[in-house]
Amino acid sequence: MEFLASATLYNILRGPLVWVAFLIFIGGSSYRAYKVINQAKKEKVILPFISIKATLLSLLHWLIPFGSRRWRLKPVVTIMTFLFHIGLVFTPIFLLSHNILWYESWGITWWTLSENTADIMTIIVIFTCIFFFLRRTFAPEVRFVTFSSDYILLTISFLPFFTGFLAYHQWLIPHKAMLNLHILFGEIMLIAIPFTRLFHMIYFFLTRSWMSSNFALWHTKDW
Amino acid sequence: MAVQEKIVSREFKEYIREPNPDIGLDETIKRLTPEKIEKTIKAVLGGRSARIKAVLDTCIHCGLCAEACHWYLSNDKDPTYAPVAKMRMTIWEMLKREGKVDAEFIKQCARIVFTECNICHRCSMYCPYGLDIAFIIGMVRRVCFLLGVMPQRQMDQDQAHIITLNQVWYSQNDWLDTIQWQEEEAGADFKNLRIPIDKEGAEVMWLPLGAEPKTGTYHVERTAKIMLAAGVDWTVPGKDVWDSSNMPMFVRDFATMLRIVRGLYENASRLRVKKMILTE
Repeated sequence: MEFLASATLYNILRGPLVWVAFLIFIGGSSYRAYKVINQAKKEKVILPFISIKATLLSLLHWLIPFGSRRWRLKPVVTIMTFLFHIGLVFTPIFLLSHNILWYESWGITWWTLSENTADIMTIIVIFTCIFFFLRRTFAPEVRFVTFSSDYILLTISFLPFFTGFLAYHQWLIPHKAMLNLHILFGEIMLIAIPFTRLFHMIYFFLTRSWMSSNFALWHTKDW
Repeated sequence: MAVQEKIVSREFKEYIREPNPDIGLDETIKRLTPEKIEKTIKAVLGGRSARIKAVLDTCIHCGLCAEACHWYLSNDKDPTYAPVAKMRMTIWEMLKREGKVDAEFIKQCARIVFTECNICHRCSMYCPYGLDIAFIIGMVRRVCFLLGVMPQRQMDQDQAHIITLNQVWYSQNDWLDTIQWQEEEAGADFKNLRIPIDKEGAEVMWLPLGAEPKTGTYHVERTAKIMLAAGVDWTVPGKDVWDSSNMPMFVRDFATMLRIVRGLYENASRLRVKKMILTE
C-alpha cells in the first residue's frame, strides 16, 4: 500500500509511462490501420467497390441514436451503448483534472466539463458497464458467444472509470494510492486498444465503409 | 419407423438438432483425414485476407445480429441459430484449433453453413459494425466444398455446372432443341414469332435459368411472346454458356463460377449485344 501511494510510483506513471501509453496507442493504432488498408489495396477486390457517399450516409445513420433500424428495435441496448461510448470517449478528454495536467505539462488547454457533469458521466459509464456485464452473462444469444476475453475487455474499460470515480470522491483507500491505480488502469486501456478488439474504434469506420458500399451496389441501405 | 435420437454436438452442448441424413455429408466425411482437413483450412483461412481479418478482429460478441436471422427467429430464438453463433461454431473454432479438427466437426460445420444459413446478408444490416458475416460463412462453405463435404443436392448442381456449364445436365443439342420446340409452340398463337438464336448485333441477349428450358419450358415460350409484344430486338446464345444461375456460387467453387461468368460475357461480346437480361 505504501508503494502504491508513493510519489515514486506516481512519478513513473505520470512521466515515462504516459509517453509509452500514448505512443503505443497512437503509433500502434495508426500502424494497424495502415496495415489493413494497405492489405485491402493489395487484394484489389475491396477498394474499387468503396463508395464515399454510401459510407458517409451509413456512418451518419449508425452514429445517431435510433438512426438505424437496429437501434430502434432495441431501445434499451441503444441508449446504454450510446451513453457508454459517449462517456468513455468524452469524459477523459474534457475532464477538468486531465486538462490541468495537459496545462501543467505543455501549457495547452481546451474546453472542460463541469465537475458535476463529469461525475455523472463517470457514474453512467460504470452503470452501463454493469449492464453489459449482466447482458453478457444472462442474455442467451450473447452468453453463447462469450469468452473470458470479453469479460477482460469489459474490465479494462471499467476500471479506469471506477478508480477515477473513487479517487475523485476519496473513498475506500487513500487518495494517492487510488490515483496511482487510476492512472495505471488508464494507461493499460490505452495500450490495450491497438492489440485487442478494442480496436473496433478504428475498424468501425472501415467495416461500415465496406458493407455500406456493398449495399449501395445492391441498391439498398444498411441501416 | 423408429424415432431417431436428436443430435447433440460434442463441442457445443446447446447445439441440439433433429437428425438430417444426407449422403453428401454422412458418406463424404469418411474420406477425410486430419492432414487433409488441416491443409484445406490453412489454404482457405490461413493467410487471412483483409475481409476475414476485419470481421474476426472487430466482432465484440454483442449478439445484436441475432434478431436479423430468420433461422434464429423461426426457431424460438435458439441462440445457436444466431449469425455470430454460426461463426463461433465454425470459423472461430477452426482457427482456435489451427485447423486440427476431425471429420465429425467438418460435418457439423457443413450442416451449419449449408443448411442453417442462406447467405442473405441481413445480419450485416443489423450488425453495428456492418460486419460481412455472410462472407465468412461463404469461406467456411469453401472449406467444406474443397473437402467434398456438402449436401448431395448442392454437390450435384455444382457438378452439373462443372461438366455442362448449366445446372440441369443439358447438352447443347437439348438446349437448341428446346428453343426450337418452344418457337413452334408459340408460333401457333402469334404470327411472326421467332426466337432468334445467335443473332449478331441484337439489342438484348436473354439468359434463362437452367430450370426454365428443362422443367418450365413454357417460360421460354412466354418470354418470346413478351419480347414480340414489346418489340424487342433480342437473341439467345446458341453456344454454352446460356444458364445464368451460377449454382457453384453457393458452394464457393471459384473456378467454375469464373468459367460461367466469363462464358456469359464471351457470348455477349461474340454477338455484340448491348444488354443481357437474366431471369430471376
